[in-house]
Amino acid sequence: MSANLGLYSVKALLILDNEGERLYTNYYTPPKEQKGDEENDGPLSTLKKQQAFEKALFAKTFKQHGDIILFESHIVVYKEVADIVIYVVGGLSENEVALSSVVDGFKEALDKILNYQVDKKAVQENYDKVCIAVDETVDDGIILETEPSIIAARVSNTPKNEPSLKNIDLSEKGFMNAFQFAKGKLAERLQQGL
Amino acid sequence: MSTHSYKKFEDTDAGLLPDKMTVFQDCIRAFNSSPVDAKKCRTLIARLLRLLYSGDTFPRQEATTLFFSISKLFQHKNSSLRQIVYLAIKELSSISDDVLMVTSSIMKDVQNGDIVYKPNAIRTLTRVLDGSTVNAAERLIKNAIVDRHPSVASAALVSSYHLLPVAKDVVKRWTNETQEAVLAVKPYPQTGEGYINDSLISQYHALGLLYSLRNHDKMALRKLIQQYSKGLRNPLAICQLIRYVNEVLQDDSSLIPALFPLLQDWLNDRNHAVNLEAIKVVVSLPVTNEQFAAAVLRLQFLLTTPKAVTRFAAVRILNRISLKNPEKIVSCNTELESLISDPNRSIATYTITTLLKTGSSDNIERLIKVISKFINDISDEFKIIIIDAVKTLSLKFPQNYQSMLTFLIDMLNDEGGFEFKNTIVEALFDLIHFVPESRDLALENLCEFIEDCEFTELTVRILNMLGNEGPKTANPSLYVRHIYNRVVLENSIIRSAAVVALSKFALIDAPLNNSIKILLKRIVNDVDDEVRDRAIISLKFLESLESAEISKNVAVELTKPTHVYDLGLLESKLQTYISGDASSFATPFDITSVPKFTEDEYRAIELKNKTAKLEVETKEDIDTSGQSGSANESLQTAELAKQQILQELSQVSEFSGYGAVLHTSSVIPLTEKEAEFVVESVKHVFKEHIVLQFNVENTLDDALLEMVSVTAQPDIEEVEEEFVLSVEKLEPHGKGTVYVSFTRPEEPSVFTTTFSNTLSFTSKECDPSTFAPFDDQGFEDEYQIEDLDITPGDFIIPSYIGNFDLAFDELTSETVGTYQMDSESLQSTVDHLIETLSLHPVEGKDVFNETSHTLKLFGKSINGDRVAVLVKMVKSAKTGITLKATVKSDSEEIAESVLNGIA
Repeated sequence: MSANLGLYSVKALLILDNEGERLYTNYYTPPKEQKGDEENDGPLSTLKKQQAFEKALFAKTFKQHGDIILFESHIVVYKEVADIVIYVVGGLSENEVALSSVVDGFKEALDKILNYQVDKKAVQENYDKVCIAVDETVDDGIILETEPSIIAARVSNTPKNEPSLKNIDLSEKGFMNAFQFAKGKLAERLQQGL
Repeated sequence: MSTHSYKKFEDTDAGLLPDKMTVFQDCIRAFNSSPVDAKKCRTLIARLLRLLYSGDTFPRQEATTLFFSISKLFQHKNSSLRQIVYLAIKELSSISDDVLMVTSSIMKDVQNGDIVYKPNAIRTLTRVLDGSTVNAAERLIKNAIVDRHPSVASAALVSSYHLLPVAKDVVKRWTNETQEAVLAVKPYPQTGEGYINDSLISQYHALGLLYSLRNHDKMALRKLIQQYSKGLRNPLAICQLIRYVNEVLQDDSSLIPALFPLLQDWLNDRNHAVNLEAIKVVVSLPVTNEQFAAAVLRLQFLLTTPKAVTRFAAVRILNRISLKNPEKIVSCNTELESLISDPNRSIATYTITTLLKTGSSDNIERLIKVISKFINDISDEFKIIIIDAVKTLSLKFPQNYQSMLTFLIDMLNDEGGFEFKNTIVEALFDLIHFVPESRDLALENLCEFIEDCEFTELTVRILNMLGNEGPKTANPSLYVRHIYNRVVLENSIIRSAAVVALSKFALIDAPLNNSIKILLKRIVNDVDDEVRDRAIISLKFLESLESAEISKNVAVELTKPTHVYDLGLLESKLQTYISGDASSFATPFDITSVPKFTEDEYRAIELKNKTAKLEVETKEDIDTSGQSGSANESLQTAELAKQQILQELSQVSEFSGYGAVLHTSSVIPLTEKEAEFVVESVKHVFKEHIVLQFNVENTLDDALLEMVSVTAQPDIEEVEEEFVLSVEKLEPHGKGTVYVSFTRPEEPSVFTTTFSNTLSFTSKECDPSTFAPFDDQGFEDEYQIEDLDITPGDFIIPSYIGNFDLAFDELTSETVGTYQMDSESLQSTVDHLIETLSLHPVEGKDVFNETSHTLKLFGKSINGDRVAVLVKMVKSAKTGITLKATVKSDSEEIAESVLNGIA
């Protein structure tokens, strides 16, 4: 078998919950390549095929703690964390250990981002961060980063709420704040009005 | 959107997907409001992404609307909002129109955006660019590649890689920058929140891009390897470089000595991914034994690592080696044996199949012992895999049947589900079929098994087996007792099967016949209709046997058929028969048109199919193109194609007086496939004639061939041409068949000759569409095609024999010859011998040891004489392959001509 000489090495990254339902699924295709017709596009080209693939894969791997499996002509490296499973899918000629470094890197980055409490609830509540973390790990099939500390550092925090009237405390210093705020607002209104 | 789905959105806490329409409307509203609430927008985009990443998609128009309302958020200064905005744009760009509109906004960010989202901006940029607009971004990307921040550099390199298919010329312009990036060491700036390790993965991206820019140039590739073999630090980059090394070495193996020190370094690298990649390269190359051993040594170490993935990868490589060179990895056996009970089932399976491959007849018994120790701790599904492996082994090493039989019988007596027991019974059946020595012991144990077998189906199959094989054993009455016990104790389905089995014993001898009649008479009073019916039929049948001697043969044929029909062919023939119109039913179906096999032949075919199936299974992993499973089919289609040829032949009236075809060769091409006229040939041997069949195909568009004929000139005088059946007209792309008939001399009955063949025809130019010739004249032409050899193999039919050694000793005429072969490997010599001699490989079809090998072949000549060949071969570096063949046969003539056929 011929080794993959290109950089496209990850075919899919999936996060499923403990019933095999999708939390995050991304099947990668090189972005600028000509798309063939559906039938020739490989075994994972349509939603239906993907879901069947996930279902069968989940049944084979859940609670097995095997870390790796050859499945339907793919190498699948996976990791179970609490009630979710993270899968990285690659071709048969990929380097198994390289693929596993992707899963490991991503999982440890999630640990850092979600404060070492990775589970289904945390993933759902911090979906924005999880998405960015995946995007910083794999870019359309190319392994972008495997070092967890870098992936974690690349993920920005959710913005804080902007100051509103509710947050202003009315202590002495707070009063000055309130005054400044009112002044600013008033000036703004006046300018707009005129 | 219905209210129903709207409600679904109310309880998002339950983890359900958000409603699509609601998300769409919320997004549009929030992104267009002023001022923009950053937190809310980020949550909404996350919700949108959740939909996209669950497989939902938006119609093009809605997606475009979303795309542009999201792009409004470029105005917002919050950088964490901007980061997710880029992600959303990246995902939406493939399903939206007019994505080019946002190019300038993105470029602004690439130029002087905040580092939080700058890499994201670069990667998004390539999604909105196309081949014609890349130029505008050239300077930006160049700058980004040499940027000090590793994420920016990686983003730019990866984006360039994505752009290759549409803008290779443009990307080429930043080759220099890329080159610089390969060895650049770019530490990730520390932010204060915990220590950040460097990964230097941009080396990997730069190397990958550089290779793609230069891959068509071999010299450049070598230079690339030389240049970067030392400085790379990222493991992925090194792995990639090793693949390039492999590319170079596969192309030119003379470079191995120069490059091996590099591979050696990588074999000893700290990183396992690098080790594995290097091992893969080393074992796939024609390296010296020491070099190979170095790779195996590292593999041995990797087998003991705590990481399952590494062990898996190592054992997978070993498994692949074991198919070709099992002797080279024997040193890993100790490590492998400890992996048999690995918690990862894939690892354990690979281990066992590998071990069974490396096993020789000496250590098989020990291996079986190891397996039986842990077999009770594993699941049924896994046991089945092991039993299958053991079954294969028993077919491969028939002489070790004893230990395997004991193993199977122990398993049979263990607890287990139907699937599991069924596999064991199948394995035992195969043993009984193909290893005759094991029959008695296996049958006895099957008898005991059905005493308390809870699966009706299995009992019925075993009873059938007992009925077929029991009468052949030394002590048939033992089985009669066991079978009759079933009649007394079991349900009606088993009882009826037992009745049939019983009646088969009645044919052996008179005393047994009488006792069975007594038993059957008792069964006539059974409560079940079917059982009674069968018993009565059997009784009647046995009585009729005594009354008329003539019907005895019929009876024996019925109970102990010497022939079996080719079931696949029978099915297809029957199907064509019933699919015809009413008139075709006027003539009854002709059963004689279906070929029959004798028991031995049938076994030979079955064994061939079984071993073929096994090879397919093991090759499945290696063969990535997914052609697996076709070998078995192709075997059958080849058989069907042969029948097709014979059918056509039988329709030619000139040959109707020739009698039955004794042997038909496979199809032999006589021209290149691309030639103007493609000719294939098939040889048919009759009792007094030889017919050469030439299938001619006219591949020209504008030539009409007339009077197509073949002149075949034999180089010995005994063979005389009788007549030629030529083809009158061959239209463009038409096919036709020319038959040339020769006499077959009485003496010698087996001969060799070479026919030199010429295709002759009248060619006329014609209109490619209507095939009407432009002129009536045309010109005569000849076309030389390759010679056709008649070999001894054309007079021999491969056939299976259970006990080769016994038959070999029995045969009287013997010839011995020693030959030098100029073939490359023992395996190819073996394949060549099997093919040319048309004999069945009884033993030694696969070569395991590249220095010496023994092959046993068996077959029958068309006159029915047996031929057994024992070939011993030795390979040495000095003399190449030397083989000594001992041919024994019933007829001296055959023995000699087979020996002549070897050289």
